[in-house]
Amino acid sequence: MSWDVVFFYLIGGASVLTALGVVAARNPVHSGIFLVICFLNVAGIFVMMGAEFLAVIQIIVYTGAILVLLLFVVMLVDPEDLPSFHTAQPLQRYLSFLLGAVLLLEVGAAIITRTGLVGVGPASPEAVAAVGGNVQALGRRIYSNYLLAFEVTSLVLTVGVIGAVVLALPERLGERIGTRRGTISLSHSRGADEMLPEGPRGETPIRVDRTRPAPVPAATRTIIMTSDPDEHTRVAGSAPNGRPATRRPGTITSTKPTETGSTRHD
Amino acid sequence: MTEVTVEHFLFLSAALFIIGMMGVLTRRNMLIIFMCIELMVAAVSVSLVAFAWENETLDGQIFVLFALAVAAAEAAVGLGIILALSRRGKSVDVDDLRTLRD
Repeated sequence: MSWDVVFFYLIGGASVLTALGVVAARNPVHSGIFLVICFLNVAGIFVMMGAEFLAVIQIIVYTGAILVLLLFVVMLVDPEDLPSFHTAQPLQRYLSFLLGAVLLLEVGAAIITRTGLVGVGPASPEAVAAVGGNVQALGRRIYSNYLLAFEVTSLVLTVGVIGAVVLALPERLGERIGTRRGTISLSHSRGADEMLPEGPRGETPIRVDRTRPAPVPAATRTIIMTSDPDEHTRVAGSAPNGRPATRRPGTITSTKPTETGSTRHD
Repeated sequence: MTEVTVEHFLFLSAALFIIGMMGVLTRRNMLIIFMCIELMVAAVSVSLVAFAWENETLDGQIFVLFALAVAAAEAAVGLGIILALSRRGKSVDVDDLRTLRD
């Protein structure tokens, strides 16, 4: 008996036990945590079958994103809305056990009597290793043969995100957005209208940020119109003698009143 | 039984799928039903990857990748529905949600 079998029974047994825990737990939070452990074990199963990329994606997407979302929803739902545990009708329960047993028998018979095609594909472990690994091999396949499906998948995700946002909007905000004339603006949240300037509703609002103070003008120097550039900067006794008169009369110079001509470089 | 064969993984997949199915059939909490559906998706993923592993192709893994993306979108929409139901003051008991049937 090789170590593979030992690991398979460890991981598979853990996943089946935690799956039973998902179904049997009374608290939905416990069910969610059982589901996390079950998905981690499924990721281990993926690694056993050489699908390392899928294992990582399983952990990131399922246990990282979906299950955290699920646990948040569990905490957002009012506990009084949840049905009690022992309310399933006995007939329903017996029927489900019967259906499960029948399905297990059918699938077991199908698995035992099947004749599979073993190792006919192009992606043998040596070929995958020659490309550089599972991730590289999957990437080559996705971006060549399955490019259209990949693009459509991004569209599906976008539609799903928009649908989730629309479903989860607060009811009042959704109605207000629906009745707004002409424009649909999702950009400001509830309560942001009080900050807008007065005017007839339905017009284009002008955003004024009143929380930020008005900018202080940065000009602290005085601007002096002069014909001689050294007129206001010359201090008695320290006149810049060798300064070439390059400036024409009428130029604008900005000087500090306390600045002396000897330290000025412009 | 000294080597892991594809039948091992297929039986594991069947077990996970049937456990999830029984959860969908017996529980009435919509959240638990949702989790059981995710469990069934994972079970099908296991069997797809097992077939790909046996046939030495990568197409099964790519199918799982796309199914995972669709499952993520489905999770977002389904949880949004559960949240909207809970917010409108209705219960998340599936036996109480019979508006379409009546």
